Amino acid sequence: MKEVLEATLRDLLGPGEVVRLQRLPGGASKEAWAVDYRTGDALHPLFLRRAAGGVIYRGTLSLATEFRILKLAQAHAVRVPEPLAYLPDMEGREAFLMRRLEGESIGTRVVRRPEYAKAREQLPLAMAEELAKIHTIPLEKVSFLPAPEAHPWRTALETAYEDLDALEEPHPALEWGLRWLQDHPPRERPLVLVHGDFRVGNLLVDEEGLVAVLDWEFAHLGDPREDLAWPLVRAWRFGEDAKRLGGVGEVGPFLERYNALTGQDFGEKELFWWEVLGNVRWGLGALKQARRHLNGEERSVELAVLGRLAAEMEYEVLYLLESYG
Amino acid sequence: MDRPTLDELLEAVAEFLEREVLPALTDPRLRFQTLVALNALGIARRQVALGEDLEAEERRALTELLGEEGEVDALLTSLALRIRQGHAPPGTFAYLKAHVVRKLKVANPKYLERYP
Repeated sequence: MKEVLEATLRDLLGPGEVVRLQRLPGGASKEAWAVDYRTGDALHPLFLRRAAGGVIYRGTLSLATEFRILKLAQAHAVRVPEPLAYLPDMEGREAFLMRRLEGESIGTRVVRRPEYAKAREQLPLAMAEELAKIHTIPLEKVSFLPAPEAHPWRTALETAYEDLDALEEPHPALEWGLRWLQDHPPRERPLVLVHGDFRVGNLLVDEEGLVAVLDWEFAHLGDPREDLAWPLVRAWRFGEDAKRLGGVGEVGPFLERYNALTGQDFGEKELFWWEVLGNVRWGLGALKQARRHLNGEERSVELAVLGRLAAEMEYEVLYLLESYG
Repeated sequence: MDRPTLDELLEAVAEFLEREVLPALTDPRLRFQTLVALNALGIARRQVALGEDLEAEERRALTELLGEEGEVDALLTSLALRIRQGHAPPGTFAYLKAHVVRKLKVANPKYLERYP
């Protein structure tokens, strides 16, 4: 791997040597590697994402497409790690290289640690600004993404029912949530490029504020409110329950800033449908993760416990619907 | 069955992990996984302590809601189907809240304190 990298990096950054090549933990479907490349006196911290041998999840983009989206986002001034090169054959698997940025991406630390207090104050507006940039990328630039066959809210519900059925375990609370969503369809909005996993745990943050938006593997054409409501999901507040926006702030200023930048007219109430959906989805996600342990795909106590913790998301779904009246 | 009881065995394993394994670990990933394992043991101990009562409560509530007798799993499946078809019996919402609370009493009772 070192030789392949050095050959690529020679063309990009000049002759040099890979002085660190370290596999980072996590990433069952995609490997993550920290790479340091030295050219003379300069040290280039880089990050390599490489396809793993395992299963590619439904809705996950190929690395080739993810790289294209990252380039596009960068061209539209979205704060992302600079994508450097796509490598179609990194020892038999596709991969891409980007620059490695300094910062914190562990959600619980971002919402709790005192050193990020200033960052937290700035995050609601910064999050709105990044989403506004992403959602206003002209659609003709993302014509390589599959066009949805139905309205995004319908597709989301169909997928959720399929996931629920695949569990072969009754979850009446999730059924109740899905039934409510079906009976209260949201108004339909024009499609935009959606990040697909926009929450504090996928943002790189330093003491000054937002550094970059990470993890684009779920990007797709969809409803902008999906991205706006996803950080409201209670699990993504990392215990700071009173701060409805991702455990860092309030929804009002975030939405106001987003509307001002995009010309939209979304009210807080309009995010409710997507917030309920988000909680149902993460409940299903937790149950699916536990199945990966149970069926032997990836044995892990962490995944196993998620099967029991899905009840937290079920409770939140019921709480939200009760408060709706 | 001889002592230690099931709960006493789980308690012994939890104590070992907490007092001996955890302080010796420096790798953050292993520390985190060990805390998760302790959490899993906590769930198991609460299920040992409360499981039978909660199961009986669950069966009573389901029988009352559906007007059917049967195993808890079969009754839950039947309720899930009725909700999906839009024919949830009256009282379903109140039942569901109590049902999820029963699950959380085992999985994570502290979670319930986070709600007003």
